[in-house]
Amino acid sequence: MAKYLIKRFFQSVVTILLIVAVVFLLMRLMPKEYFFTEDELMKLTPEMQHERLLAAGLLDHPLVQLGRFFKGMFTKFDLGISRRIQTGKPVLQVIGGKFGISMRLGLIALGLALITGVPLGILQARFKDGILDGCGQAFTIFINAVPALVSYSLILVFGSRVLGLPAMYSARKVQKIMIFGQQFKFNTSTILPIICLSLGSIASYMMWMRRYMVDELNKDYIRLAKLKGLSTTRVMFTHVMKNAFLPLAQYLPYSVLLTVGGSILVERFFSVPGLGPLLTDAISRYDTNVVQAIVMLYASLGIAGLFLGDMLMMLLDPRIKLTGKGETR
Amino acid sequence: MKKVVNMNVDRSAVDTTEHKYHRGRVHVHSRAQMPEKQLFSFAEYHAAEAERIGYSKYSYWNSVWKNFFKKKSAVCMMILFVVLFAFTFIAPEISQFDANNLRIDNDLAFQSPNSTFWFGTDNLGRDYWSQVWSATRTSIILSVSVSLGQIIVGTIIGLVWGYVRKLDRFFTELYNFMDNVPTIIYMTLIALMIGQSVLIMGIAMVAFYWLGTARNVRNLVFMYRDREYNLASRCLGTGLWRILARNIFPYLISVIVLRLALSIPGIIAYETTLSYLGLLDVSTPSLGILLRNSRSFFLNYPHLLIFPASIVSLITITFYLAGNAFSDACDPRNHV
Amino acid sequence: MKKVLSMILALSMMLSLAVILPAQAEVTELLDYIITSSEMETFCYQYSQKANDLNVLTNCYDHLLTNDPNGGLQPAIAHTWYVDETGLVWTFELNEGIKWVDWQGNIKADCVAEDFATGLEWVLNFHKNDSANTSMPIQMIEGASEYYEYTKSLPEEEAKALKLDKFYEMVGVTCPDNKTITYKTLAVMNYFPTLACYNCLAPLSAQLIEEIGVDGYFGATHEDLWYNGPYTITYYVHQNEKILTKNPNYWNAANVKLFDTVNIKAVEDANRAYDLFMAGELHYVELTESQITMIQNDASHEFHDCLVPMLPTKYSYNWHWNYAKLNADGTPDTNWNTAVGNEAFRQAIYYGLDLTDYLARINVVNPLSCQNYTYTTANLVAKSDGTEYSQMVLDLLGMEYDPNTFSRYNAEKAAAYKKQAMEELAAEGVTFPVELDWYISASNAAAKDTADVLAQNFSDMLGDDFIKFNTKTYVTSYNQEVIVPQLHSVWSSGWGADYADPVNFLGQEIDFDDNAYYAVTYGNVDQATDVDLKAQYKEFTDLVNAAHAITDNTDARYEAFAKAEAYFLEHALCLPTYYNKGIQLTQVNDFVKINSLYGNQSERYVNWEVSDTVYTADEYAGLK
Repeated sequence: MAKYLIKRFFQSVVTILLIVAVVFLLMRLMPKEYFFTEDELMKLTPEMQHERLLAAGLLDHPLVQLGRFFKGMFTKFDLGISRRIQTGKPVLQVIGGKFGISMRLGLIALGLALITGVPLGILQARFKDGILDGCGQAFTIFINAVPALVSYSLILVFGSRVLGLPAMYSARKVQKIMIFGQQFKFNTSTILPIICLSLGSIASYMMWMRRYMVDELNKDYIRLAKLKGLSTTRVMFTHVMKNAFLPLAQYLPYSVLLTVGGSILVERFFSVPGLGPLLTDAISRYDTNVVQAIVMLYASLGIAGLFLGDMLMMLLDPRIKLTGKGETR
Repeated sequence: MKKVVNMNVDRSAVDTTEHKYHRGRVHVHSRAQMPEKQLFSFAEYHAAEAERIGYSKYSYWNSVWKNFFKKKSAVCMMILFVVLFAFTFIAPEISQFDANNLRIDNDLAFQSPNSTFWFGTDNLGRDYWSQVWSATRTSIILSVSVSLGQIIVGTIIGLVWGYVRKLDRFFTELYNFMDNVPTIIYMTLIALMIGQSVLIMGIAMVAFYWLGTARNVRNLVFMYRDREYNLASRCLGTGLWRILARNIFPYLISVIVLRLALSIPGIIAYETTLSYLGLLDVSTPSLGILLRNSRSFFLNYPHLLIFPASIVSLITITFYLAGNAFSDACDPRNHV
Repeated sequence: MKKVLSMILALSMMLSLAVILPAQAEVTELLDYIITSSEMETFCYQYSQKANDLNVLTNCYDHLLTNDPNGGLQPAIAHTWYVDETGLVWTFELNEGIKWVDWQGNIKADCVAEDFATGLEWVLNFHKNDSANTSMPIQMIEGASEYYEYTKSLPEEEAKALKLDKFYEMVGVTCPDNKTITYKTLAVMNYFPTLACYNCLAPLSAQLIEEIGVDGYFGATHEDLWYNGPYTITYYVHQNEKILTKNPNYWNAANVKLFDTVNIKAVEDANRAYDLFMAGELHYVELTESQITMIQNDASHEFHDCLVPMLPTKYSYNWHWNYAKLNADGTPDTNWNTAVGNEAFRQAIYYGLDLTDYLARINVVNPLSCQNYTYTTANLVAKSDGTEYSQMVLDLLGMEYDPNTFSRYNAEKAAAYKKQAMEELAAEGVTFPVELDWYISASNAAAKDTADVLAQNFSDMLGDDFIKFNTKTYVTSYNQEVIVPQLHSVWSSGWGADYADPVNFLGQEIDFDDNAYYAVTYGNVDQATDVDLKAQYKEFTDLVNAAHAITDNTDARYEAFAKAEAYFLEHALCLPTYYNKGIQLTQVNDFVKINSLYGNQSERYVNWEVSDTVYTADEYAGLK
């Protein structure tokens, strides 16, 4: 097992480094004018643009730049400085400042989706083809069919005009609330973004949970359990749910880790200063160091997420073995 | 455990033959209680009957269609979709405006739907009806062909990836690679170096969408490739492509169809993202582009959003329902 | 797991609880906004060339001089300034008691003359400032160019370690004492003091650099900076919110009116800004086309009577001809090049286009308020008798602004020119219609609308037999995809002044000059072949150079420039198109703000007046 883990770890590291190198070289194919704003392009002569790029070290041979990047990364754990997003600030700090915000919102939204979506899905399966199931399916279809932009706008208009909730994220809107004698800090301006974030995942957890439950209900061991005289509820909760949750569990670590990435649309919509829009922003501003760092982050999280998912599967379901003859990946 | 399985197999084999002879009316159990004489009697010899082969008229695809047509909602939606698609060709004809040459008139800007402008007008006073329908046509053609393309490429590569062990490592790395580099980077580079017509973007989308399909197919292939019948088939010298096409592919049809159905609305949504990033040619209006443009107007003039959004919703629901129904119908266990 | 679950439960309960909680009470502060995509990118004032940064940072620093609501120069840190008898050495005498404070307002040091030298040294040091903001000092100050090249030749570490000794030795800047600084210019430049409002001559505390280091200042955050201006930045969340707070130790506090705090919010787009304005969370909002139409058409709308124009920006927009257009395959587009070399062809477009619909893309309420007939922005400079420069040009052209029609449009003249052009050009083998390629960004829906409008105007007003208007797109980089391969027929762009002199405008358009950026980059004048055209450019260049040579008499200088500009426009060598004047809803009186058409002093939150209600159009017009 240990050998497998070590092997897989090193493979992942190599993959990540390769990805970073490829992104690095691809970025160099993009037009360098991204580095300038429209105003600057209108007013800077080609010579002045050349000087600026030269000073920013963006005109060296791509491989030289790549070498410099890897050297900095391995010797000092330094990913360079941002050139446009927050000029002069170390990339690690730029990302570090946004990381927590996206993650906090994402985790709350994920938690919300789990504690509402999964039970609703179970109920749907329990009362299959009933009214509840119908409503649930209609909800799932509605969420998937209506463009996100529209549903977010509806939530925003309703939330801010009718309920009077803050329409824009602000770290200063923290309220202290007493619950069970304990003091909690809560930011009211995060309510609407969290609802928007969780809406899609609630629908998808409902859909998949129902799907797996229904599939599972037709299996032989369930028939046996029923024959043994177990109550439906008991069968549902002790047998079906456990097995139906397995396929979802595999994606759980992945989803948890990717909450860090944030959501472009929601974060833009509510001015949440998170990681979501950073990648597109950095690409469109030719801030290559930031792009590389984000790609590296996402790739590591994605690969780690898959790996943890496999591990979780193995722990939950003893039939699955990772160290078989290569059939598991 | 093994014994149980064998028993099962044996019994079901008996069952089916009985079913086919007697159209399933007689039950094995009832027969067990009859006296032996009644059970066995000499059959009369019919020359014609002796030549007859034990063959039923079962056809896989017939059953699929039969099952599919049982789902009324899905069929209705599918018909609605076909009508919608056909209408995209008719609509510009019955409109009094030429879709390719719409007049701009600032005085007519942002008209709500009325008898002249059936869907109202946009910010430049152009007829919205003509725009919506030609956009719908473009989007449907684009998304259906991209979906078909990516499914074909993805399935073929997925089959090979899953079946040929030597290639597994290669494709896995390729997948990790392509999947982790942000698509925007690829798309921008393609638009920049090759161009950004609808055709090129369509091909580019196929080039990235197959990844997901291929991975899904590969995981399914794993489940079937080492079954005994495949081993036997291999021993008998069946070629790679024949095994893939005849032995494995039929098991995957339901999943593939579902993926196909769900990817069509997915591509329309992706179109919006692409046009938002400026990677789609704005001179060919598509639903994605209309949705993107309506972003800045729809709070004040909702009709600019409602028409394209409802068409997108209709397409999404159609393929969601039809995909699920068709995928159920494809499962041979549900056939008679 | 249970703990997590209970946490999640508690959180979801709070979610429902928070819904009931009341909104926060408002404080007295200015509520401003930006669009998220134009968030600040740097706190290094010397480095920034972007309005996004400067709009905020200009509130944090006082310069030698500042502007008044009419754009005139006003004393700031310097109380007096004068030039010596050679006309080259400018002396600024500084006020005393100006303090540097940190972001919380604690006094850190005195702001002295040497801080201005430190600021300029930073700008000119290649390795410190990445070559940003160098162009004007290099063009104007003695030794600046040499010092820049010198630092460029040094290794990075060495250049970053440079102090002022070498700078004083090479550059024409001296600090005789703590409250005097002198600059020696390369030639006689009466407009040099206007540069003193610009950030390339901003002060920078040498002690601050010592404290946080060169890299530390380049990547500074708002908490690292020292401030000597009216506000300090006390709160900053990237792409979300920033708060400027009144500097408690501001030297000039007695003479200016400041807000206690200024809250600048970053919003995703104009619709979100409108939402916030309607919720009372902003003091003004620029409106989009659909919002304007909606408010205009809805007589019962709360703000039906409140649509007011924004003040013009410093940019004057023009169309530049491309005299050496290439086809996509790199061969010259002879048809276009021959046509555009013909004066009658250009004149036909110059007089034949009524751009009202085009202007409506900028301002749908009052398109003609955006009309522009001169190359130089109006109100940049004026003669000593008060005659405004762009008016002088209009007088020479015999044109005037008419609020009701696009006055340059002249159908008869255009028809005559069209006939002449078609005859002359047919003789030269030009085939009609001439193809005109207009490039827009593929992602820009507004640009597509504009192009559609123009296509219709060309077809309606000039005829399909004359010009065929083609809309083409570029993906990401107009420079790399369009300008460098010379694919465009016409390019629209705007220029805004960096200092108050017409040469800053006309100097962009002359032939045979390295600084003539527009003429070469967009126009490719150097590759033009038409003899008449070349002669016209020669004549124009001579006129500009002659005007530039007049340094002793400002009035005569402006007159000569006006003559040159009139010549330029009379021959339709360029097509002035519009000023960018949007429509807003506002509680802010824009007329008492600093308003200058060069530099960035206009963005200071100094002496603002904010009403507690939204101005109606009548009230707003009355403020003027």
